[in-house]
Amino acid sequence: MSDAPFKNPGWAGNTGEFDLTEDQVRGDEFVGERPKAGGHPSASATFPFMLPEKNPDTPLFEGEYQERFEKILTRYPTKRAALLPALALAQEIRGYVSPESMDRVAELLDLSSAYVRGVATFYTMYNKAPVGRYLVQVCTNISCNLCGADEVLEAFLKYTDTEMGEISEDGNFTVIEAECLAACGFPTCVQINSRYYENVTPTEVPKIVEHLKADAAKGPR
Amino acid sequence: MAESPNTVTLTIDGHEVTVPRGTSLLDAAKTIGEDIPHYCYHPGLTAPAMCRLCLVEVEGAPKPMPSCVTAATDGQVVHTQSELALSRRRGVLEFYLVNHPLDCPICDQSGECKLQDYVHQEGREHGRSREPKRVFGRDDFGGDVLFYGDRCVMCTRCVRFMDEMEQDSRLTVVERGNRSVIDTFFEEGLEGTSWSGNIVDICPVGALVSKEFLHKARAWDLDHTPSICPSCSQGCNIDLHTRDNLVQRLKPRENMEVNGWWMCDHGRANYEWINFGERLEAPLVRTDAASRAMGWKDALGSLVARADELKGRPVLAVASPFASNEDLGALQALVDHLGGGSVVYRMPRAEAEMPMKGFPQLARRRDLAPNGTGADLLGMTRVGDDAGRGGLEQVAAHDGILIVLGDALADQGETFGEGAALYVHLGTHGGPAAAHADYLLPITTFAEQEGTFTNHERRVQRFWKGLDGPGAARPAWFVLGVLLGEMGGGATPRSAADAFALLGARAAAFAGLTYDDLGTRGAVVNDAVPLAGD
Amino acid sequence: MAYPYVSDREVRILSRNFGDPSARRLETYEAQGGYGALKKALEMGPDAVIDEVKASGLRGRGGAGFPTGVKWSFMPKDTNKPHYLLCNADESEPGTFKDRELLRWDPHQLIEGLLIGAYAIRAEHAYIYCRGEFFETTQVLAKAVEDAYAKGYIGQDVLGSGVTIDVTVHIGAGAYICGEETGLMNSLEGRRGQPRVKPPFPAAVGAFGMPSTINNVETLAAVPHIVKNGGAWYREQGTEKSPGTKLFCVSGHVNRPGNYELPLGFPLMDLIEDVCGGMKDGHALKAVIPGGSSVPILNAAECADCTLDYEGVQAAGSMLGCASVIVMDEHTDIVKQVRRMVQFYAHESCGQCTPCREGTAWMTKILQRIEDGRGTEEDLQTLLDMCVQMTGTTICVLSDSAAAPVESSIRKFKDEYLALIRRGERVGAA
Repeated sequence: MSDAPFKNPGWAGNTGEFDLTEDQVRGDEFVGERPKAGGHPSASATFPFMLPEKNPDTPLFEGEYQERFEKILTRYPTKRAALLPALALAQEIRGYVSPESMDRVAELLDLSSAYVRGVATFYTMYNKAPVGRYLVQVCTNISCNLCGADEVLEAFLKYTDTEMGEISEDGNFTVIEAECLAACGFPTCVQINSRYYENVTPTEVPKIVEHLKADAAKGPR
Repeated sequence: MAESPNTVTLTIDGHEVTVPRGTSLLDAAKTIGEDIPHYCYHPGLTAPAMCRLCLVEVEGAPKPMPSCVTAATDGQVVHTQSELALSRRRGVLEFYLVNHPLDCPICDQSGECKLQDYVHQEGREHGRSREPKRVFGRDDFGGDVLFYGDRCVMCTRCVRFMDEMEQDSRLTVVERGNRSVIDTFFEEGLEGTSWSGNIVDICPVGALVSKEFLHKARAWDLDHTPSICPSCSQGCNIDLHTRDNLVQRLKPRENMEVNGWWMCDHGRANYEWINFGERLEAPLVRTDAASRAMGWKDALGSLVARADELKGRPVLAVASPFASNEDLGALQALVDHLGGGSVVYRMPRAEAEMPMKGFPQLARRRDLAPNGTGADLLGMTRVGDDAGRGGLEQVAAHDGILIVLGDALADQGETFGEGAALYVHLGTHGGPAAAHADYLLPITTFAEQEGTFTNHERRVQRFWKGLDGPGAARPAWFVLGVLLGEMGGGATPRSAADAFALLGARAAAFAGLTYDDLGTRGAVVNDAVPLAGD
Repeated sequence: MAYPYVSDREVRILSRNFGDPSARRLETYEAQGGYGALKKALEMGPDAVIDEVKASGLRGRGGAGFPTGVKWSFMPKDTNKPHYLLCNADESEPGTFKDRELLRWDPHQLIEGLLIGAYAIRAEHAYIYCRGEFFETTQVLAKAVEDAYAKGYIGQDVLGSGVTIDVTVHIGAGAYICGEETGLMNSLEGRRGQPRVKPPFPAAVGAFGMPSTINNVETLAAVPHIVKNGGAWYREQGTEKSPGTKLFCVSGHVNRPGNYELPLGFPLMDLIEDVCGGMKDGHALKAVIPGGSSVPILNAAECADCTLDYEGVQAAGSMLGCASVIVMDEHTDIVKQVRRMVQFYAHESCGQCTPCREGTAWMTKILQRIEDGRGTEEDLQTLLDMCVQMTGTTICVLSDSAAAPVESSIRKFKDEYLALIRRGERVGAA
């Protein structure tokens, strides 16, 4: 993950006299593969990396994921409170939150399916339909917008050859406009799957897209 | 102003009012006749205070307050009609109209729509939105419910009803912000629910409408008559909505001691029978060869003569739990006058009660008739099975005087009453089992007369006349009362109230009760008084 | 080694470890004296901790600026019911990016503050509600929590004191409104993140219906320093009414955008000119939003004497909010940026209250129409009326937040609106 060909200084005040590698900024030693079982229960609700092998038909939940689901349940005084993490877990495994996933999670948590649908649709991070291998979310809110986010968004649409919200023909990309990603000092901020790309300028977009395409060509991820 | 532990005294629009502690400003304002506009608040549901239509000005508060959740406190000074309050509510109403389709001419709610009412009451004269409206379209929610998303004001009463009352969360708000809309879980609908018809009633606008009533009548063309649902022994208070002498729909009428604001879907849908045609319209008297229509005077005159001839013969009668207390009492009086005899009735009975979870005093009761309790109190005996059939073997073959009141005898054949010395059948339709009736007398349904039913908890409740009976059909209490009078059995009641007053002589439970005591809410009959020595 | 100072006026307390990749480790944090404040707090007792925080004058950093110690003292003293401490790490106010930095550079600082807070309010369980988009940041935090559990700082019998404090990292799922305290509670409980009607207030009926307190990341991160050094020490920085240091998130048209920890009361123009290296490309300043997108815009004249403390910004006609300074130069198209902000609020409105649900969407449409050159002068009056109708009429303040930039921009930059409406002239268009 350190082979990204672009800068990611993490500190916009950096005018060149101080260098950190991208991995140092991102906390590479921390941001490793988390165990699918979630590690310590206190952290079991947090995302591991998005699963490479997403499959909409994977059962909810089995094996390590069952273990993680059960750990999540121990962290809240009510079953209902496990709903958001459980939906995230379902998305992690299946790639998006399908009606079937909502139904299954509802069953697991003793909630009505309609209720789960109501909650799932309230939040933007649950994909209600499948997305491309790379979900590219370009922040176009004010701070990024002042610094040219609209052009970055356009560039992503152009170089991935997609319409907003659609999956590109090769299945690699879905590009959407995002609201503020809380990286306003590093405009334009682009979130691609679980990862932030900061200080992105339109000229860097083709490099990023090529990098991702190369990554995709490496295999199922 | 003395502080009281149980009440608070405050000033609303210049009027000093004292209300129980904990009363909301909205309810407190009702005591001075001020109905503050509101959507999301419904007295039977939790109040999320989200429609923001009930904002009022409270002196000292930094912002206008939602009156539905703001508790009245001592010394508060509230203005519901100040410029601030009116302006904020006018603002909210304008926001509603940004996307509301204004399709009132084709909307079933028109005429009873709270958006129409409030906008006329205190909205802007002209809306300022020039933008294209949001379009959701129409969605079949299943059951009897149709959803017009564009008309929805997002008060979420329907969602809360399903969550809190039916406790089957089939409805939800999906999406958020301006894109939020009420929906079910994809293809799943309201099928199988038992109370969902109520969401149509509590929808303040035309977003949720009844499929059954769709485009059937305009709200302002309907007459409303207070009545009692005849579909089970709960005795839900309802209104008959009628037009062209036909019942168009049933709506629940508030009675906190019986049904709250609600009624079940079964009862709501079960009204078409009231409108059935092919009714008996004149007394039919069987002479030697055939039946002949007669006027009441002639028919009853001849019947009195026949009964006189047969005096002393044993009497059996079949009553109906769908008949009013007055009808049943008159029947019992006649049977007693003729020398006494058993009166039986048959009543369909469901396998189980179906309570409304969020308001458990309300249930669809097992007894699927409104007045089995009244029949019991008058000393009648239930026979037959849980389908309301059978149990009449002895009656069918009776060779004395046989009287049938209200039971259509659908399970009985043409031989019913063949051997009776005198067979009097008071009904609405006749039918095969009335073939041998010597006197087939047309009576009115509950909807066509005034009367009372006694519900499962022995509450006597009045219903009023909403329809005109066909032809010469008359209430059974009246027909039987005249007969009794002609036979010298006492005074003939001149009104349903008279007939009700006579009940006390038949059953102690009714003693001393009058229509005035019952009012529109009903009253529980007297407890059985244990006799000395019991 | 942390980032070098760009100005000698920076006072790095909370941000001392920004830029030091090793500081995330528990050993490093311990070597800096980490978790010493927790030990001290456990010896002081909960009430003394609250008193110390009260004495420091620390004010909530999430935007409202409510005194933290006072907030803690609202919690019932008895523990018949479970108490909860919630850490609001759902940072999503446009212009704000401090919490993410605090979490990813110095997670133990937050955890220590969280534990002290939980101890003070007698909570046995603390939840850190992290913004869902913060995948990487959350992993850093999760690892730190696991390490702290392993060392006995979290869990049953914290440091042998007999006190139990559990910590759970909870992740959001993408909703700005969950940064509102009661929206966050609903979301934590597995509901739609809709704000609740107050009263009841969280200290009485909060998360899971129990007494709860909710604090921002930056607030809690300041707590270990206050406990360690005392409230009086904290008051050495900042102003009388706004004591201490604050992370200022500067974004937009400056040469060095970023997070800068400065004493409250710092002059706005010094921040832009001195700390941030001045306006980008030497352009002139046009406007500043001093507290995240929810507060009124200041024009250049109003910025001149504005000091960055709660009172100073208010005097200048805006609010400090969470001190997210968005700087706009002379070429900024104000109408477009205001439209973009309102569009954000329309997107994030939870949809409960009518003025917000309908108002934000309607405003977006009107502003878009004006931007497209199809506006009328009446539209401006309509917008101003809507601002009045959307302020103070809803359960939470999202609606007020949407109205603030519209109202202030029409008042202060009316010429730009009129130029678009009358002549179709756009500022900044090439």
